Amino acid sequence: MANPEPILKATGLSARYGHVEALKSVDMHVEEAELVAVLGPNGAGKSTLLRAIMGLVETGGTVHFRGKALPRHDTVAVASQGIILVPEGRGIFGPMSVAENLQLGAYRLQGGKGEYERRQARVFELFPRLKERLSQVAGSMSGGEQQMLAIGRALMADPKILLLDEPSLGLAPRVMTEILEKLRVLNEQGLPIVLVEQKAPLALKLARRAYLLSLGRIVAAIDPREVQSHDELARYYFA
Amino acid sequence: MKYHLILSALTVGGLASLAGPAIAQEPFKIGISAGLTGYAATVDRAWRDGVELAAATINAKGGIKGRKVQIIVEDNRSEPQEAVTVYRKMLSSDGVGMFISGCVSAGNFAAAPILVRAEVPMVLCSILPQQPAQVKWAYTTLPPAGFEVETRLAYLKDKTQVRKIGVLHDPTPYANLQKTVAEKEAAKYGIEIVGIEQYKQDDADLSVQISKMNSAGAGAILKIGLGGTTLTAAKNIKQLGLNMLLLTSLEDLAVFRPVAEVLGDKFFFVASPSQVRDALPAGPLATEIDRFLAPWREKYGDRDPNWASRGWDGLMLTAAAIEKGGSFEGPKVRDAIEGLSGYQGTTGVYDFSPEVHQGLTINPFVLGTIVDGKVKVVQ
Amino acid sequence: MTSLLATTLPSRFRWTDTLAWLPWIISAGIVGYAFLSGGYVVTLVVFALIYAVFVIGLNIFMGFTNQVSFGQNAFAAISGYTSAVLTTAYEWTTLPAIAVGVALAVLCAFLIGYPTLRLKGHYLAMGTLAIGLITYEISVEWSSVTQGYMGISGIPPLGIGAYEVTSDRGQLALLVVIVLILTFMSARIRTSRLGRAFFAVAGSEDAARALGVDVARYKLASFILSAACAALAGSLFVHVVGFVSPEVFGLHMVILSFTMLYVGGIGTVAGPLLGALIVSLLPDTFRAFKDYQDLAYGAVLILLLIYAPRGLAALFDRYVPAKKVGGAP
Ligand SMILES: Nc1ncnc2c1ncn2[C@@H]1O[C@H](COP(=O)(O)OP(=O)(O)OP(=O)(O)O)[C@@H](O)[C@H]1O
Ligand SMILES: [Mg+2]
Repeated sequence: MANPEPILKATGLSARYGHVEALKSVDMHVEEAELVAVLGPNGAGKSTLLRAIMGLVETGGTVHFRGKALPRHDTVAVASQGIILVPEGRGIFGPMSVAENLQLGAYRLQGGKGEYERRQARVFELFPRLKERLSQVAGSMSGGEQQMLAIGRALMADPKILLLDEPSLGLAPRVMTEILEKLRVLNEQGLPIVLVEQKAPLALKLARRAYLLSLGRIVAAIDPREVQSHDELARYYFA
Repeated sequence: MKYHLILSALTVGGLASLAGPAIAQEPFKIGISAGLTGYAATVDRAWRDGVELAAATINAKGGIKGRKVQIIVEDNRSEPQEAVTVYRKMLSSDGVGMFISGCVSAGNFAAAPILVRAEVPMVLCSILPQQPAQVKWAYTTLPPAGFEVETRLAYLKDKTQVRKIGVLHDPTPYANLQKTVAEKEAAKYGIEIVGIEQYKQDDADLSVQISKMNSAGAGAILKIGLGGTTLTAAKNIKQLGLNMLLLTSLEDLAVFRPVAEVLGDKFFFVASPSQVRDALPAGPLATEIDRFLAPWREKYGDRDPNWASRGWDGLMLTAAAIEKGGSFEGPKVRDAIEGLSGYQGTTGVYDFSPEVHQGLTINPFVLGTIVDGKVKVVQ
Repeated sequence: MTSLLATTLPSRFRWTDTLAWLPWIISAGIVGYAFLSGGYVVTLVVFALIYAVFVIGLNIFMGFTNQVSFGQNAFAAISGYTSAVLTTAYEWTTLPAIAVGVALAVLCAFLIGYPTLRLKGHYLAMGTLAIGLITYEISVEWSSVTQGYMGISGIPPLGIGAYEVTSDRGQLALLVVIVLILTFMSARIRTSRLGRAFFAVAGSEDAARALGVDVARYKLASFILSAACAALAGSLFVHVVGFVSPEVFGLHMVILSFTMLYVGGIGTVAGPLLGALIVSLLPDTFRAFKDYQDLAYGAVLILLLIYAPRGLAALFDRYVPAKKVGGAP
């Protein structure tokens, strides 16, 4: 726990939708090459936390990335620094082909055909199915394939840190396991990941640390190694 | 391209072989571009019915110079673009040789260049186009804008003490023209215009405009424009408890009855002769009106005859011109109408000339009022 | 580039790929028929092509970028009236007048779009509706310049320098060229980086932003492209007809163009042209029905809406997932 400089650090981060304060002074951080899970029940503010980091909602507090304060209300600038969000519900562009979705991932990449190919090769290595489906209309793919595309598209942006909002949503258990396995591979390659999940047991298998969010506050920081049973987890939820 | 040439050669050949013997029996086709739907619907449907009635009357007598008349009507939806399309359709598909078109002035203006190129004349319900080259091929049965205004000013001068008035008008071209005339002519009648207010055809309240004119000292309002706003104005005057006369422009009599119920003897309207036939003395005007009114009443009962009677005039004066000029050719018909003068129509006497394509040059209008549900002429 | 290859050279042959040409074949058939037969069908098709220019623009904003504007007629009016006034009152030649008209409309689109495109959903729609209505009012009220309802007549025909295109077929040919160029441009936009950004904004503004797409900027770009097409259509109209009055660019232009866009296929490349042609010709094929013309036309529109809810061109479009593809493992 003694790493000196977290790659991402939120301090007193709050967010509101109109009069509703959905996030209340949250402190959290992510260290280099770390996979951090964010757990919590429906409406806890998990998505809001990711959106607040991206500057997609009205926020208070600060977010530092590699020691520098991130601009607020300028998502494009946040994304340009390599902080890439895979939004809840995947946010893939249905009418466009798989290839075009990937191209949108590399949207900020100027010129550099070689670099584009390199990134794409990395995505295909991780998700070979995307290569087969390049010209398919994204909206016509299965849920699992769409999730792969969403992650692949994020990787095309060459993220320095990846924010994932419930990638398991609506997927069959087998597909879910496959996707989480890919995330583990990515993380092992050194990519820091924030993984928002409702299905805590799954997330805790991968995570080095976890935050438990409830009613817009962090109510616990969890060490996955200490959570061995469902009962124990339930204790955290209802504490 | 070759195929096309062959095709057109075939068509031309075919037409040429038909043309000789067929022409005597072929009816003379007359087109009407009318706003059967859209804002001009009421007026243009009546106009169309008047033209068709005239055609039936002419055909019953054997046609024009022995040639039957066929009326082709197309709906321009009161839109200029549609008007261009239907004019083109009637010219190229139906072979129309003359137009007696309705009151959608923008539509008639938009189509005017096509008629100039096709050398086909038109007699209109609406005002004339602006370009001299286009006016050459266009005639109108519409009385000059000044007439309706002058009738009202004359009444105020002769029969009332009112010397200060307001003008309330909508933004249509004809209303604007009348307004301009009112501004120019009022002084001649010793009358001062103390307020000019505009409204829109769909306005639901005119009390602001009316109060303004009242506080400027107006004792009467000249209202210029069609539709339900006349009743609105009347109600507003009553609600505001004002002692003002309301004198409106020419319109369907049906619109006026409820207005008269609101304002009683403070309400006057401009009427065309056919609307007040029974109050007219015997004479050529009354005779011509009767010639029209008899079949009109038979077919349509007591539907207002005003717009229809002008449509009737449109075709009847064309027929007279063709009889006189002796030809159905576009340029000849055009010339013949230009030479038509002293023609007695249902609205008045038409005197056309190369300089005057708006044939009614003597004010045919009267001022009417409704007393106990009966139309009465006051001037 | 990858996408262009991927889309034009599919790895597997599908019969839908040949069907993709059908909207073009139908359109070419209609235009060709008009050209050969002459007569007033030419007039109908000429108006249809002018509308196609308008709808191609509308499609960029509404189809590609998934925004709503009820006010594109404003830009047609601005450019149309500018063309009309410059060529009549100031005796300019046609081409520079159109150029100034379109430029002025684009400037207005920028000034209007910059603040309003920050509005969301129905606020934007209401805002654009207001712009259309205000422009209409101005064209009625500013009669010293626009002549109000009287309209401006005597507007010279299209042409370059002393050469004027006055014949029906000449106008038709010229408009075909213009529509082809714009359709080609819209096809290129769709597969370009710009087009992908539009589609991203259309899909999800937040997702687009999170990938670094400057949403506000692309909405504005889309709005301006769309306005430029509308403006060009407005100027073409006044020079073809030789006359302009406020009704020309009234609310019915909005209704007509929306019908064309949805009948043809919103978001497709062939849709605007196909929709413009069909919606322009359809009522006419029912002309013989007289009073029931509108009824027949309405019935056909409803049938189209039921059986081709995404428009005719979408029936043959590669972007629309065919069932058999969706069912693949
Ligand atoms: N656009 C919005 N407008 C208003 N309130 C919102 C909006 N989005 C979220 N909220 C509210 O903010 C709170 C947190 O929502 P959030 O989506 O962050 O929860 P979550 O933890 O992601 O839930 P879930 O697990 O269901 O995705 C909820 O009470 C929600 O109702
Ligand atoms: Mg959520």
